[in-house]
Amino acid sequence: MSVVAPARARGVRGWMRGKNLAPYLFVLPNMLIFAVFTIWPAFNGFNLSFYDSSNGRTYRPVGTGNYTNILSDSQFWGVVQHTVLFTLGFVVLSTVLATALALMLNSQRRGRGALSAAYFLPVLISPVVVGIIWKAALDRTTGLVNQVLSAIGLGTPGWLVDSSLSLVSVILVGTWIHLGFYAMILISGLQSIDTSLYEAARMDGAGVWQSVRLISLPLLRPTLMVVIILATIAGFQAFDFVYTLTGGGPVGATTLIIQYIYENAFSYPIQYGLASAAAVILFVVVFAVTFVNYAIGRRSDSI
Amino acid sequence: MSAQTPSTLAQRSGSADPQPPTWTSTGGRAPSTGAVVRATLLIAGAILVVTPVLWAAMSSFKTQAELAQTPPTLWPNHPTADNYTSGLQAFDFVHFLTNSVIVTVSATVLTLIINSMAAYALSEYNFRGRTVLFLITLSTIMIPLQVILLPVYQVIASFGMVNSLWGLIIPPAATPTGVFLLRQYMLTLPDEMIEAARIDGAGEFKIFLRIILPLSRPALAVVAIFSVIWRWNDFLWPLIVAQDESVQTLPVAIARFASQQAIPFNQILAVSVVTIIPIIVIFLFLQRHIIAGLAQGSIK
Repeated sequence: MSVVAPARARGVRGWMRGKNLAPYLFVLPNMLIFAVFTIWPAFNGFNLSFYDSSNGRTYRPVGTGNYTNILSDSQFWGVVQHTVLFTLGFVVLSTVLATALALMLNSQRRGRGALSAAYFLPVLISPVVVGIIWKAALDRTTGLVNQVLSAIGLGTPGWLVDSSLSLVSVILVGTWIHLGFYAMILISGLQSIDTSLYEAARMDGAGVWQSVRLISLPLLRPTLMVVIILATIAGFQAFDFVYTLTGGGPVGATTLIIQYIYENAFSYPIQYGLASAAAVILFVVVFAVTFVNYAIGRRSDSI
Repeated sequence: MSAQTPSTLAQRSGSADPQPPTWTSTGGRAPSTGAVVRATLLIAGAILVVTPVLWAAMSSFKTQAELAQTPPTLWPNHPTADNYTSGLQAFDFVHFLTNSVIVTVSATVLTLIINSMAAYALSEYNFRGRTVLFLITLSTIMIPLQVILLPVYQVIASFGMVNSLWGLIIPPAATPTGVFLLRQYMLTLPDEMIEAARIDGAGEFKIFLRIILPLSRPALAVVAIFSVIWRWNDFLWPLIVAQDESVQTLPVAIARFASQQAIPFNQILAVSVVTIIPIIVIFLFLQRHIIAGLAQGSIK
């Protein structure tokens, strides 16, 4: 750690006072915004979850009533189920595909820039617009996907209107958005692997698959942990593209936890109590999952 | 281990190998089957990723009748710009674009200023409370805005910042990841330069402004890229704060536009295409920096 104060300057009193104050002045603006817009609301969020309000102005204390209400609310459990299924599907699919893409793209020479740009395109598009585009592309009769499927005789599945398929569609679109970003992270992880290892393996007669399985994947593990943590957090917080893709439907089949919180807090009928209890539960879950991922990641670092 | 294995293995394999050092290289020779399969998969995947966007763009040039036609058409039969003219009449693009630009630019500038100041204090000074402040900063990574929506909304409501651009800009500005990234980078800067400047009589703020900031440019660029993409596409927070059309940003305005039953879908697509263009143009100019910066920023 850097020790900045030179000993011989200690005699100059006014200068010293300025220097002692300086770090506090430097952190002040950032910490002030943290305090007012993150830390205080975080504590107040716990407090709020013991009150209920139907208009956002008058509150009445309900004790743990919000929690007993929400835990017996079948809609909430449906939302939890969708969110967990979505997050699991999204994390697994996007991590696996991004790893495959990163491995292939990293060893591709020709046209690599154009290919990267193509895979990165969805990252740049506002998720709201992504939802609109895929809503059009997955339309049962006029959508691109079903045009292709029916042309090759595979029928016209109701991607967004069939309640058993809609969550799959949401997982696929979520993966489509993040795939390029996660692949780029993994590529920079691959590039930090010593190329002499591959050389050695090749001279030893190892094939491409063996190199990938025995060198790339084990050494990529820390970067994979980063991607898994990012994907898990993104999964639990998915809202924007779902909002324009399915709006949470059909009949709530793709309503995820953030939408549940948003609707209870800001759209009629307002149920602040349910929203704030759900927010606290989400916070605890995301915290726990991130912590577990982090702990596993640390352990694999030390191996 | 990596220092020894290559030579031992080379001895074992006997003769010197004429092939280039990387196992994937096809250098000059006819491409291997693996390379062909890989290139095919990569190209097919890229087409799969890009096609929906191109298709949506083409659909925005179709007439209402053609869009509903069976069997549907892939290319517009009679390309028309009507969706653009009528779409942009119903949708005040310039107004929402202005809001988006104001919010993105000023939020990014604010984030860069306060994050770099905090990072400087946390990396270059020894002061009472430094560790605590750093730990608090790190722990707020675990508290995204999404989980404290309601209480933060109450705070901005009590400040009268609902329906104001300030309410969009300020609350998410103190990003913990930005402080963390910048601090890690500043720790690598040589202390001697700061001490030399101090002995030369430079004030604390002048040192920060003239020495630290210019040296931290690569890290500042990463934070800036993150901030711009995030703020430009941000939806949930603006959806809550900007209830009035006058302060809505593009994503909120488009979502509202798209939810109106009376608006034909090809007009919605036309407006969507218009909003994609600015960010793609910027990306094409800065592609290399953006991809490298984002990837590095996520790992740290």
